[in-house]
Amino acid sequence: MKAVKNTTYLRRNWQLYALLMLPVIYFLIFKYGPMYGVQIAFKEFNFFEGIAGSEWVGLDIFREVFQNNDFFKALRNTLLLNLLDLIISFPAPLILAIMLYELRIIWFKKFAQTILYVPHFISWVIIGGIVLQVFGTESGFINNLLTGMGLDAIPFLSNKHYWLITYLLVGVWQSAGWGTILYLAALTGINKELFEAAEVDGAGRFKKIFHISLPGIKTTIATLLIINLGNMISIGFDRPFIVGNVAVRDYSEVLSTFVYRVGIESGQISLATAVGLFQALVGLIFLLGANYASKKLADESIL
Amino acid sequence: MTTRGSKKWASPAIAVLMASTMLLSACSSKEDTASGNAGSGSPEPATLKVEVFDRGNTPSGYTISDSYLTRLVQERFGKPNNIDVEFVPVPRSEEIQKLNVLMASKSEVPDIVFTYDSGTFNRYAEQGGLTDLTELIDEYAPNLKKFLGEDTLAYGQYNGKQFALPGRRLVLGKYAGYVRQDWLDKLGLPAPTNTEELYTTLKAFKEQDPGNTGGKVIPFGVSLAAAQYEPLIWSFIKPLTDEQRYTLTQQLGSSDYPALLPGFEDALKFMNKLYNEGLMSKDFGLDKDKKQLWQSLQNGLVGFYTEDAGEPYFTWNDFYENLQTNVPGASITPVDTFTNAAGEHAKPAYAPNAMYVMIPKSSSNAVAALKYLDWMASDTNLFDIQFGVENENYTLENGVPVVKPDATSEITDRLYNFGDIAVIVNGKFAGDDAKNEAAYIAQTPEKFQADMKKSVEISNVDTIQPVRFGHPIEAEAKYGTALADKFQEIIVKMTMIKPEQFESTYDSMIKDYMASGGQAILDERTAAYKEMTSK
Repeated sequence: MKAVKNTTYLRRNWQLYALLMLPVIYFLIFKYGPMYGVQIAFKEFNFFEGIAGSEWVGLDIFREVFQNNDFFKALRNTLLLNLLDLIISFPAPLILAIMLYELRIIWFKKFAQTILYVPHFISWVIIGGIVLQVFGTESGFINNLLTGMGLDAIPFLSNKHYWLITYLLVGVWQSAGWGTILYLAALTGINKELFEAAEVDGAGRFKKIFHISLPGIKTTIATLLIINLGNMISIGFDRPFIVGNVAVRDYSEVLSTFVYRVGIESGQISLATAVGLFQALVGLIFLLGANYASKKLADESIL
Repeated sequence: MTTRGSKKWASPAIAVLMASTMLLSACSSKEDTASGNAGSGSPEPATLKVEVFDRGNTPSGYTISDSYLTRLVQERFGKPNNIDVEFVPVPRSEEIQKLNVLMASKSEVPDIVFTYDSGTFNRYAEQGGLTDLTELIDEYAPNLKKFLGEDTLAYGQYNGKQFALPGRRLVLGKYAGYVRQDWLDKLGLPAPTNTEELYTTLKAFKEQDPGNTGGKVIPFGVSLAAAQYEPLIWSFIKPLTDEQRYTLTQQLGSSDYPALLPGFEDALKFMNKLYNEGLMSKDFGLDKDKKQLWQSLQNGLVGFYTEDAGEPYFTWNDFYENLQTNVPGASITPVDTFTNAAGEHAKPAYAPNAMYVMIPKSSSNAVAALKYLDWMASDTNLFDIQFGVENENYTLENGVPVVKPDATSEITDRLYNFGDIAVIVNGKFAGDDAKNEAAYIAQTPEKFQADMKKSVEISNVDTIQPVRFGHPIEAEAKYGTALADKFQEIIVKMTMIKPEQFESTYDSMIKDYMASGGQAILDERTAAYKEMTSK
């Protein structure tokens, strides 16, 4: 009985499934296909023999990775920078979005939004140049002001503790505006009558924010938090690579830059693949863990 | 609920499995055909594919694979030998990545490829991707062999076999120092001739600010590029025995590094002193590509710096011109400043090799490729590629070709990428060493030529030659890049640290360096030295 129902359903809606095939094929070719190369992590990769012809070496590559001090330093820094980002950079777009939502003058709101979005579209290479012009010890604008006033220059970029702050602030500056989009969309979805009712009941601005706005976008916050937690182990390449420098490598060397320097630059493809696979596995654990926790705590989950 | 969920997922999972098996079989079958093709060489006159760097500077009217020089090659070499020479462009900035892809593809790879990176060459040789030229070169390229010479050819050997033909490097001197002459004159100081005098000079620059920079003076301009720190560091290295030279030197990438040599710590201490007394560029650790240094130089803030010999005088960067525009009356003089314990002006020099020119094993045109390179080394071919046409591109003065300064761009465009076509040599080859040097100096504007000559002379004084074993050190290939980064980290940190923390930090940094591969290299080199001396 049920089988018959399914066939008629399929006959009627097959176009929908056919359309879905396109993205499925995309994922198969570009996301699953390359997984064939994962085996490089278990092989001593030889350019001329190709992937299939290279020799299996078991877990030797992983042993080498886990014996490498720099790997653990990079792992620690990845988690450290991401955790700090989660504390500093994650709430920033939320606060910004609520502030924007409270604005009533439309043209100013639009103007402010545009200004806030712009940094997102600037290449990190250019941001790197700006950072140097602003924070440099010798040529930086801030330090020129400080030394002009007879104060000592602050090594924003060459002292590792100051560098952490610079790194975080630059991140907020670059991404906070863009991050507001999702929150603003969610905020617009809240029923206006709730605000009006609250006003009638005599609720002030902060009461409204805490009891209507924030609960109203709880799902969005949870979703973004889960995504962020899932990405704890992976870190973009551009930002630490460009904002970082030799003097602060104690903090600025992360897994992505480690893979680039040790794996790609010195042609140790196997090692780079092994680190990538390790990252993917840990990332999966983080993602599932965060999803589980969110399900238990807030009854919100995305999987 | 759950059963429905699992059903929903079952079919995509099967699809994934099927697709990946399909991909697997597709990949393996592709490799089979590729290796099959590579084996069967065709005896017919074929296309000879030659790599060429694409720097994106091809003048209009030409393309990278069809220009005056490619036509010259086709006319003089291709036609008589019934070979079609095809140039395969590879972007200069991603040369190694692209080369890796080409080498792995086998069927696409040019018959002649090249790279400056010794690590890449060693890896290809080790993994069996290159044609063994040991015997072929005697048979097909006698002129080339003579042109390159034994010393240079030795750099292309891997375990006794000739796997690459290293280009010949003509200018071997590396560095010279430059000081602001107008500042010295103003303070009535002589040009510094040793490290101690330099220190006094730097102090004077800092305290008396002869350039009226308003406290922005940078007495000693430094960046994170080798030209700025190598002359200083190597002058502190103590006299070495042969054994020390071979075992304690670490070759990371293409250069020798002094991290384990006696005296390295003293060099860092001196840099630390300069830095903490405010005599050195403050942000040198951020300045990987000399950009900031160049800016400060052109703005007339820098009193002294070391650089590739002659660099300020070449017109392509207009550095000197800019300085004189920004600061009227500014002038710089080449000086030889850093002295070692024995009073010598010790500084590193280049090895006599340049690019590694290689013929991939998968090439079926090895003989034609060698003939092409041999053709380049014969008669006036190389000269014509590098200098162009007499009385149009250059004039001969005492047998030395001098570039015509008033040649039209149409004429100079002919040779826009001569360096990338003439891969068997680095520098312009005018006939013999004396003429080469004269031609090298003649490239700079006439008003700078006296200083240019002095720079070249300085760069050749008391040079330290690179140390090489007959075979590559495997640990260097493996850890080289990572350790070279560590080395820079050591320099930057030890320079910027507070003097009272110097000793303890130095010890821990060297320990970290050793643990990250330094020890492995040391062990391998010690073993290699034993083997070498016991023979």
